[in-house]
Amino acid sequence: MTQQMRPSLDDPRVAIPAESSWYEPAPIPQTERQAEFLTLREGEMFVNMGPQHPSTHGVLRVIIKVNGEKVVDLDPVLGYLHRGVEKLCENADYHQAICYTDPLEYVASLFCEAAPVAAFEKLMDVDVPRRAQYIRVLTMELNRIASHTLFQGWMALDLGGITPILWAFIERDEIVDMLAALTGQKLLYNYYRIGGVNGDLNHEFMSRLGTWMSRAAAQIDSNLALINENEIFVRRTRGLGVLDAKTALKMGVTGPNLRASGVPFDLRRDRPYLVYPELEFDVPTRDEGDSLARYLVRMDEIKQSIRIIDQVLHEMPDGPVMAKLPRLLRPRPGRAFGAVEGPRGVYGTYAISDGTDQPFRMRIHDPSFVHLQLVGPLTKGNLIADTMAVMASLDPVMGGVDK
Amino acid sequence: MDRRLAALLQEKFGDRLLTPVRQRYDESEIRVALADATDTLRTLHDDPAFRFEMLIDLCGVDTGEEMQVVYHLSSSTSGDWLRVIVPGLDRTAPRIASATFMWPGAEWMEREAYDMFGIIFEGNRDLRRIYMPDDYRSYPLRKDFYLADDASRSPAAGVRNMERAGTPADATAATTLRKSPGV
Repeated sequence: MTQQMRPSLDDPRVAIPAESSWYEPAPIPQTERQAEFLTLREGEMFVNMGPQHPSTHGVLRVIIKVNGEKVVDLDPVLGYLHRGVEKLCENADYHQAICYTDPLEYVASLFCEAAPVAAFEKLMDVDVPRRAQYIRVLTMELNRIASHTLFQGWMALDLGGITPILWAFIERDEIVDMLAALTGQKLLYNYYRIGGVNGDLNHEFMSRLGTWMSRAAAQIDSNLALINENEIFVRRTRGLGVLDAKTALKMGVTGPNLRASGVPFDLRRDRPYLVYPELEFDVPTRDEGDSLARYLVRMDEIKQSIRIIDQVLHEMPDGPVMAKLPRLLRPRPGRAFGAVEGPRGVYGTYAISDGTDQPFRMRIHDPSFVHLQLVGPLTKGNLIADTMAVMASLDPVMGGVDK
Repeated sequence: MDRRLAALLQEKFGDRLLTPVRQRYDESEIRVALADATDTLRTLHDDPAFRFEMLIDLCGVDTGEEMQVVYHLSSSTSGDWLRVIVPGLDRTAPRIASATFMWPGAEWMEREAYDMFGIIFEGNRDLRRIYMPDDYRSYPLRKDFYLADDASRSPAAGVRNMERAGTPADATAATTLRKSPGV
C-alpha cells in the first residue's frame, strides 16, 4: 500500500507557484471612487494600517496612500467585527433584541440599550415610572463619564503618552465596578427593560457612588492637568483635522464632534427624553473644530455629567422601577424611532412592528459609523502619525461601526 | 408634536404625499412616491421654511413585497424631526437616486443599504460592499435570507438554504416569506 506523502518544499521536483499567486491579487476597482483611489501617481505608495493596530480602537483596516510622509488619500475597510445584529434582532423577541444591542459599543453599552428601549416603548405606549427614568439618567451619565475618561487616556496613548491611560483607568474602573454592583455585569450591562430597569438601586452601588462622588471632581481635574498643560499634546492636536460647522452638518456628524465645531446640538436639550428637561446643565461647545477642541468638549462634558448626577441623587423619587406589562409583548403594527445622546453622538433605533412578538425590522444607527467617514477628508495632507491623532479625537468604537 | 409642521408639509407637498402626515409622540412621518423622492428631499433641505439640514439616519427596509428607503431628518432651525418613507422600490431591481448630493455623509449609509438589501443608489460614487466581502453574493437583511434556526421556528417550511445567492427572482415561494402588509 503506497502512502501519499506530502511534498516537501525542499524537493527540487516540487513546483513553487509563481510569485503573483502567493499574494492577494490587486483588487479590481468597482467604483469611480475606488478606481481613483487605486491609481498611483509619481512618488505615491500604499501603506496598510491594521486590521490589528493599537490605534484603531478595534479591528479596523485602513489603506493609506502616501507620498513620502504625507497622507494623500485613505480608504477604511470595515466589516471585521460584523455580526449581523440587525438580522439577529429580527429573529428575536423584543426582550431578547435588547441584549443583542449591548455589545455594539462595549465602552458605552447603556446607550446602545437605551435607544432600542426608547423605540420599543414608543411602539407599545409604555409609561416609564419616574424613579426608573431617574435611574436611567443616573446610569447613563455614569457611563458617559466612564467612556470620556477612557477616551482621554486613549487619545493620549495614541499620541505616545503612556501615563494618562493608567490614570484614566482608575476612574473608569471605579465606575465599571459600581455599575457591576448594580447590574451584575462589568461591561455588557443589559440593565434596561421595556418599561423600566432591571432592579432598584442597591446599597453597595449607592455607597460606592457616594464615595466616588466626594472625590470625582478633584480626581478628574488632576487627570486633566496631566494632559491639558502638556505642550507636546497641545501642539500635536491644535489646528489638526479642522472640521467646520457646515461640513459637519452635511456629513451627519453628531455629539461632541459636532459641538466642537460650534453647533450646540444636544438631544438631551433639543429633543428631550426621560427627565432631562427637569435637570440643569450646560451644553459645552467650542468654535475651533480641531482635534484639541474635540478633546476639550468631551472633558467639559464630564463636568456637566457630574453636575447632572448630583441633581439626580437629590431629586430621585421613591416608587416602582418597572411598569406593569404582560410577559409576551405584541405591539400594534407601527413604526418608531428612538434616539439618545450618547458619548459619541446620536444613537438611534428605527423599529418596525408587524404585530408579532418580534420586531419586523430593527435598524441601528451608530454615530461612530458616520464619524469614521471623516477620517479620510480630515487627514489629507497631514503626516501619517497625525492620522491616529485625528482618528482618536473622533473617538470611533469599531463594535458599533461594524454592528 | 408640532401641528405647524404638519400643516406646512400638507401645504407644500399636498397631492405629492401618498398618505396624510402622521404624527405620534415627537415623530412626524410622510410618504412620497419614488418619482418624487429627490424633489421632495431637495425642498425639505433647501426651503427656508424647513431647513432639514441634518440627515440623522438613512436605511433600507424590505417588507417582503417591496423595498423602502427611509430617511430621518432633523431641522436646524425649528428642531423638528421628520421621517420620509419612500416605498415601492421593486424587490427584483431596487433603484433610487442617491442623497449624497445634499448630504455627503449619506455615502456610507447608502453603501450599507446596498450591502444589506441590494438597493442601487444612482449617483453614489462609491457604491460597493461595506461590511461583507467583495465577492459575497447575497443580501443578508432581505426577508428571503434565512437564519440557520429559522427551520425550527416554522417546521412546515423545512430546512432551507441559509444563504440565498443573487437575485430574489430565485427566492422561495411567497408563502414562507414573512411579510408585513401594514408596514
